[in-house]
Amino acid sequence: MQPYFLSLLIFSPLLGILVLSLLSKEQEKAIKWLGVLATLPSLCLSLFAFWQYQNGYDISKLTEKRSWIQFGEFPFLKETDFTVAYELHVDGFALVMIVLTTILATLAAIASTSIQKEWKGYFQLFLLLEIGMLGVFAASNLVLFFIFFELTLIPMFFLIGKWGYFEKEKAAYSYLIYNGLGSAVLLIVIAVLFARTGTSNIAELRYILTNPAVQTISPISDDLRYGLFIALLVAFGVKLPIVPLHRWMLRVHVQAPPSVVMLHAGVLLKIGAFGLVRFAFGLFPGQFQQFSTSLIVFGIVNLLYGAFLALRQTDFKMVLAYSSVSHMGIVLIGLGSLNEAGVQGAIFQAVSHGFIAAFLFFFVGVMYERTRTTTLVRLGGLAKTMPYVSGFVLAGAMASLGLPGTSGFISEFMAFVGAFQAAPWLAAIGTLGIIMTAVYLLRAVLGMTFGQTTVSNVSDLRGIEWVPAISLLLLIVIIGVYPNVLAMPLQTTIETMMNGLGG
Amino acid sequence: MMENAWLIPLFPFVSFVVLLVVGKQLKERSAYVGMLLTLLSLVFALGALYERWTSPTYKQAYTWLTIGDVDITVGFEVNALNALMLVVVSLVSFLVHTYAKGYMHGDERFPVFYAYLGLFTFAMLGLVVSPNLLQTYIFWELVGLGSFLLIGFYFYKEEAKAAAKKAFIMTRIGDVGLLIGMILLFLEVKSFEYEAIFAALQQGDVSTTIMTLSAILIFIGAIGKSGQFPLHTWLPDAMEGPTPVSALIHAATMVAAGVYLVATLFPLYEASEVAMTTVAYVGGFTAIFAASIGLVQTDIKRVLAYSTVSQLGYMMLALGSAGYVAGVFHLMTHAFFKALLFLAAGSVIHAVHTQNIEQMGGLWEKMKWTAPLFLIGTLAISGFPFFSGFFSKDEILIAAWTHGHVGLFVVAVIAAFFTAFYMFRLFFLVFAGEARTNVHNVHESPTVMVLPMIVLGVLAVVSGYVQTPWGAFLGEWLTEGTNWHAHTEGPSWIMIVATIVSLCGIALAWLIYGKRAIARDWLSSRFPLTYNVLMNKYYIDEFYGLTVIRAASFISLLFEYIDRFLVEGLAQLFAATARGVGRIGSRLQNGQVQMYGTVTIVALAILVVIFAVTGGYL
Repeated sequence: MQPYFLSLLIFSPLLGILVLSLLSKEQEKAIKWLGVLATLPSLCLSLFAFWQYQNGYDISKLTEKRSWIQFGEFPFLKETDFTVAYELHVDGFALVMIVLTTILATLAAIASTSIQKEWKGYFQLFLLLEIGMLGVFAASNLVLFFIFFELTLIPMFFLIGKWGYFEKEKAAYSYLIYNGLGSAVLLIVIAVLFARTGTSNIAELRYILTNPAVQTISPISDDLRYGLFIALLVAFGVKLPIVPLHRWMLRVHVQAPPSVVMLHAGVLLKIGAFGLVRFAFGLFPGQFQQFSTSLIVFGIVNLLYGAFLALRQTDFKMVLAYSSVSHMGIVLIGLGSLNEAGVQGAIFQAVSHGFIAAFLFFFVGVMYERTRTTTLVRLGGLAKTMPYVSGFVLAGAMASLGLPGTSGFISEFMAFVGAFQAAPWLAAIGTLGIIMTAVYLLRAVLGMTFGQTTVSNVSDLRGIEWVPAISLLLLIVIIGVYPNVLAMPLQTTIETMMNGLGG
Repeated sequence: MMENAWLIPLFPFVSFVVLLVVGKQLKERSAYVGMLLTLLSLVFALGALYERWTSPTYKQAYTWLTIGDVDITVGFEVNALNALMLVVVSLVSFLVHTYAKGYMHGDERFPVFYAYLGLFTFAMLGLVVSPNLLQTYIFWELVGLGSFLLIGFYFYKEEAKAAAKKAFIMTRIGDVGLLIGMILLFLEVKSFEYEAIFAALQQGDVSTTIMTLSAILIFIGAIGKSGQFPLHTWLPDAMEGPTPVSALIHAATMVAAGVYLVATLFPLYEASEVAMTTVAYVGGFTAIFAASIGLVQTDIKRVLAYSTVSQLGYMMLALGSAGYVAGVFHLMTHAFFKALLFLAAGSVIHAVHTQNIEQMGGLWEKMKWTAPLFLIGTLAISGFPFFSGFFSKDEILIAAWTHGHVGLFVVAVIAAFFTAFYMFRLFFLVFAGEARTNVHNVHESPTVMVLPMIVLGVLAVVSGYVQTPWGAFLGEWLTEGTNWHAHTEGPSWIMIVATIVSLCGIALAWLIYGKRAIARDWLSSRFPLTYNVLMNKYYIDEFYGLTVIRAASFISLLFEYIDRFLVEGLAQLFAATARGVGRIGSRLQNGQVQMYGTVTIVALAILVVIFAVTGGYL
């Protein structure tokens, strides 16, 4: 099964899409169950792969390669030049991201039971989105990466535009335009690299671009490298997002249905981090190195800008949206530190924030379903009427503000160890963010759960809702209590990256 | 026993988890779960202490997190200092668990209260057994969580909500200092282990700058946690929590963690004269500053809270004056007598349902157990001869004097006078004279509340005798294998001065509040300004409100405008440009051949120019 394992993992939601199309639109229960069920094959496969990897299995054996597209024949070139193969490959980092995706997909599917209309279309798009996300992490050439990257765009557009809140159309267009522009920039980079080197395989490109001795088909000057590097920074900066490219994601956070935001904040934003590590860092380590201090500065801007703005928001969803901006700053700070601790912290933050953001947005959905509001002042005193929900939200906030014992602490801690090593003064400014995070999260969460009770007659957590709540909290705590469960799989990736720097 | 020391924090954790899951079913029987498991902790802690008495320090570590080629470990350790702390913490925790069974009786969220107590006790014991700085920091934050949850236990009260938030944020400000100091030290030493840090210090592997800087930064963490000036304002507000919590967390254990941290890292402070002096001055200033506020407060718990702040300042002063033993000794005696005072205050509040001492009075007759126990606590804290506080405070004064801090010595003596005065003011107002309001049904608290107080009462008297001028058992044990003084010989007049000062304070309080020979409004009528400043706690809260909080909201507002107008405006401008270009483009598509011809020729001309300039290849 090895030769098809990754394809199977990525495309297994397709089965769900097909079966769903056979069902009648009205069978609400069946559709919802099937929607959840369809996410399980990839979840099991990814967990199996992760477990095998933890036990020393060499996951490079999973690499798949089939010839796919050939652009003409050139007698003066190698046979493989200007061909694009269908090729998949995962390393520890990609595998971790895939596991993150499959877990969140299943849990978000469970959370999707609160979707009110047109379940069939919803789950089909949802599963298509999962395929896109999984493909992004497993693609081993740029063309395939780009196809999967775009594949996430379309279902997401409809999921926001059709199942969102009041200003859903505006949010959907905003999403499409920002990300479409990012994609366009990315496409230019891919086209230029392909034209100049004749390959789009990421590993080959890394070899070609980092070894000055290698002759390319047409030359790649230093200026061009800078151009491409900055283009990549913009393309993935939209996704992450880097301030000031963040406005679109605020709207998505607020307008999209919470189950979709679980995936959006949990996984889609992380594609930005993944892209920065894989391409900006992987292909242009030299340029990355020269930009590293600027990246830390960008990171601190994100961290503080998001934190101070979150302090003023009156809607819990907006608080969380700005909190995402702020937390992605930690990713930038870590990456910009360019040392083991920092980079490991950045990747940890990507994973950890994935779980925490999904966890908190799950409860946004739960609270909205019962109270029809996410406005802070209108939710006061929830601890009385919904003690379990309030407890979980508080736990989520604690994880988000980096309380030790949760994954949030480990990532923040490592990122700052890295930053203090690289740029102590900047790091010292950044620590202000640690305080501000506590301030805005406590303000928001205590505003909702403490004080006089304003909402009555609402039920607490029930039935299947316990599944996402407990599993996400467990994941957050497990990483927080035993971080090596995540650190070990990442070792090779980080080592490779550090070797790429090579002084 | 020592190899099982990791179990000591684990028992209360089990209590936390069990009560979280089945607390609803257990209802008030939850108390037994909590009591039993903390009792187990206490037994194991006593075992560890007993064994450590004769054998050397025990330590174990396991790899926890790998960063590059550095392995960060977690583990546990039993040394002299933390064996003592383990016993103090688990003992006070057990007593509070017992007491709360009576105090919290009838509360709707009774099991939750015990679950939180378990969580806190777990974190506090975990903090104490930590063998490295990172693990200490982890539990350091977790005790903060426990404290936060318990301060906010009455979550529906706005005051509790504000106090919980304030406590978390104020201590977090300090924690960031600790975090930075810890990271700086780590980057220098490549390890968080205390042993490794001390070894590096001894070999001179740590530069003086980093040493001083990290020592001071770590001390900022201690300032936050131990309510030292200027991060002290959360501690009095934390009195919004249930009184057993105030006794456990905000008097005996957590707030002492800052002192414990400085004591644990004592070699680091010893190595840096600047850091050491900082500790001494911050401590000394806090001691007198908080004591002066305590002189005029009218809320029984707040008086005790300011007294805690002041006493913690004493301990810092001791450590900063190289009085390692004095600081730790006072930490221990204070834990006992302050927990006693809080529990007794809780018993009073339980009986009269108010915290305002103006509305109390005449309780001596009505509370046969609480009143004498409160008196014992008061005598101990005032440094009345032969009570525990007398010996430990004496050690501190001697340390300050012999270390050459004459100014601080004077400050400490004045603070001791204040302490004796405000504590006896409290005592006389609550227990002496006649009831000032007609409180009915005043009754002594149930046995389950009185028993823990009796235990603490006994300890408040006898715990001083482990370290007296005639025999320094504690000191010799704590300083074994180091070159620190087990006991500093000080001039004997210090003890006499201390006694006189404390007696004067008691006498003055008696004259004003007991015998009423001096008018009560003596201070407020003669020096209204001083009185107001003290009453309003030197306006520190107001100052922070006007500066820090204003600044933060201003920055927020500024960013909001930037986000809404500048960033969004630029995006809109970009979009408008695109729309404009589109509009021009579509106007060109007007169906007239002449127009198309013009566009073609202009475009061709542009292309030719580009080719000519770039030489044909881009």
